[in-house]
Amino acid sequence: MTLFVAGLNHVSSPVEIREQLAIDDDKLREVLRDVQGTGVLRELVMLSTCNRVEVYGVADVPSEARAVAFRHLCSLRGIDPARIEPLIYTRLGPDAVRHLFRVVASLDSLVIGEPQIAGQVKDAFAVAQAAETVGPTLHTLFTQAFAVSKKVRTDTEIARHAVSVSFAAVELAKKIFAELTGKAVLLIGAGEMGQLAARHLVEQGAFPIYVANRTWARAQDLARTLSGTAVPFDGVVDAMMAADIVITSTGSPQPIVLMETVQRVMHERRTRPLFFIDIAVPRDVEATVNTLDNVYCYDIDDLKQVVDANLRERQREAQRAEALVEREVGKFMLRLRDVEVVPTIVSLRERLEDIRLGEVQKALSRLSDPAPETRAAMEALSSAIVNKILHTPITKLRESSRAGAGRSWTELVHELFGLGRKT
Amino acid sequence: MLLNVALVAYVCATGCALAYLVQREEIISRVTSLSALAGWVAHTVALIARAVELGRPPIGSLPEAISVAVWVVVLLEMWIERQYQVKVLGAFVFPVVLVLSLKASSSRPAALLGPTLQSAWIWIHIALALVGIAAFVLNFAGAVMYLLQERQLKAKRPGTFYYRLPPLETLDRLTYRTLALGFPFLTTGLVLGALSAPSSWGTVFTSDPLVFASVVAWLIYAGTLAGRAAAGWHGRRAAYCAIVGFAALVLTLGAGLFFPGRHGS
Repeated sequence: MTLFVAGLNHVSSPVEIREQLAIDDDKLREVLRDVQGTGVLRELVMLSTCNRVEVYGVADVPSEARAVAFRHLCSLRGIDPARIEPLIYTRLGPDAVRHLFRVVASLDSLVIGEPQIAGQVKDAFAVAQAAETVGPTLHTLFTQAFAVSKKVRTDTEIARHAVSVSFAAVELAKKIFAELTGKAVLLIGAGEMGQLAARHLVEQGAFPIYVANRTWARAQDLARTLSGTAVPFDGVVDAMMAADIVITSTGSPQPIVLMETVQRVMHERRTRPLFFIDIAVPRDVEATVNTLDNVYCYDIDDLKQVVDANLRERQREAQRAEALVEREVGKFMLRLRDVEVVPTIVSLRERLEDIRLGEVQKALSRLSDPAPETRAAMEALSSAIVNKILHTPITKLRESSRAGAGRSWTELVHELFGLGRKT
Repeated sequence: MLLNVALVAYVCATGCALAYLVQREEIISRVTSLSALAGWVAHTVALIARAVELGRPPIGSLPEAISVAVWVVVLLEMWIERQYQVKVLGAFVFPVVLVLSLKASSSRPAALLGPTLQSAWIWIHIALALVGIAAFVLNFAGAVMYLLQERQLKAKRPGTFYYRLPPLETLDRLTYRTLALGFPFLTTGLVLGALSAPSSWGTVFTSDPLVFASVVAWLIYAGTLAGRAAAGWHGRRAAYCAIVGFAALVLTLGAGLFFPGRHGS
């Protein structure tokens, strides 16, 4: 009985292979049933996303189970199994546990910390549960994996910092203003990325939104989609007085926001901070405005630099997450061992305790009015005998599960002592 | 004895708070808070014990007074950290706490206030000034954090401080509120000191270096508060003022500790 994972991901295989193997939920259900029908796997969960196709299973012979599973997958898509065979990785026991924990925690993703993968694994698990291919081992494993993923997300900042330019701009705004609720935004120009950044700010509660464009109709259109107000293009200086965040993304060949203008605006604003997000190329805002007190100006390269720093920060956090996963793998392996033998140990104890109590009762009833000391002595004697007898079998049971043979031992114990069916 | 326990706890809190700045492990943050709390409790008991032993408030000499100021600082730190969710605050406050408590514990002069000086007004003067000073320690910490975060944002190269420090607006609010809290205390404290001084010391108080330095500090804080309230000062200018004001306060305490005068030892 071995827990294993076999599969291919964005590192091990090219996208041409992955896209051929990727299947939807209906097909997934079908494959799960077919593979389960072969009887080589006791438990099975299949995960299929655009970045990975993986089989999680419990089987007596993992290599055989893996071959069967992938043969079914390939036949569904008309792929030659021999072609993908060299791309498949296999992990057994604790390595398989670690693999799943890392996948769900988004440590094995193309972009570390991306939020989709946990949901995808949950879906895959739900499909397998519906197809009744999940047993106690995989159930414990996946439940724990989701808990680990949550822990990684809350205890580390792996998914915290923005990895896209527009979100990085929002994050910077939050580092300046704390709360974006009620902060006024001025959007100059209709560039795609500028609109995106403005939309993110609106989602964070920024209000009101002013939109300026050389073409008045375009400004009105944009204002409508952002629930903002259109302002005339030559009135941007006034709007700048009211705004907290200015996004520029025009196609203008020259800067449209000049140092001298901003100086004038800041004189009026006193020390209220002003944040320029200049997404235009060539740039719309004179870079020197960043030297003014309480003015922050980030152009596209600056934002990319922030994204790079964020990615590095995620990497650093990922190292902490790896350590956390490692601890969880250790804990889980202990628990898995328990999952296998603890119920047997409990019922064995209960069985012998029943016998002991019954016999003590019988013996006491034969004595007329036993002294409390006699009663205590009989209790102590019988308990000692039971414990002495149980000691070696229980130790052996634990050892057997450590050696991976827990199941055959528990079956034997159930048989020998006539214990009830295992759960 | 208890004071030493408090001191050790503060050392621990300082170390952990600084470590937490570099290594974002929750456990470090928790140890910081716990040792700060433990230190504060020990400190509280020690102060009460001392007051009972002396039969008067334990603020009769400058080292004693500094110890009480530290006690207020730690209390404020714990409160603000909860209130603002600024977990890195300790890294900027505890070093100051540590320096002050070391200063307080290393010099042990006899009680400064003679029996003639021990009127209720004097005690209130000292107590109010101490709360003011404590608030300005937090004010200073907020200003330092503001300037660090501001630098990072201007430099456009996010580093540890960018990620770990709170937003500028939060820090600005923190410095404003601590200023608004500390100023009335300091003012009332100074006024009471001035009012009770002539009757006790005559006119010599003008030659006391502590009085001079504290008036300078008061003027700086008054200017900052006026600038903030009337002219809408924010950000860097206010932060610089907070740092200069704190420097004046440190000078005040330094003057009291090292130079002769009515406050000194």
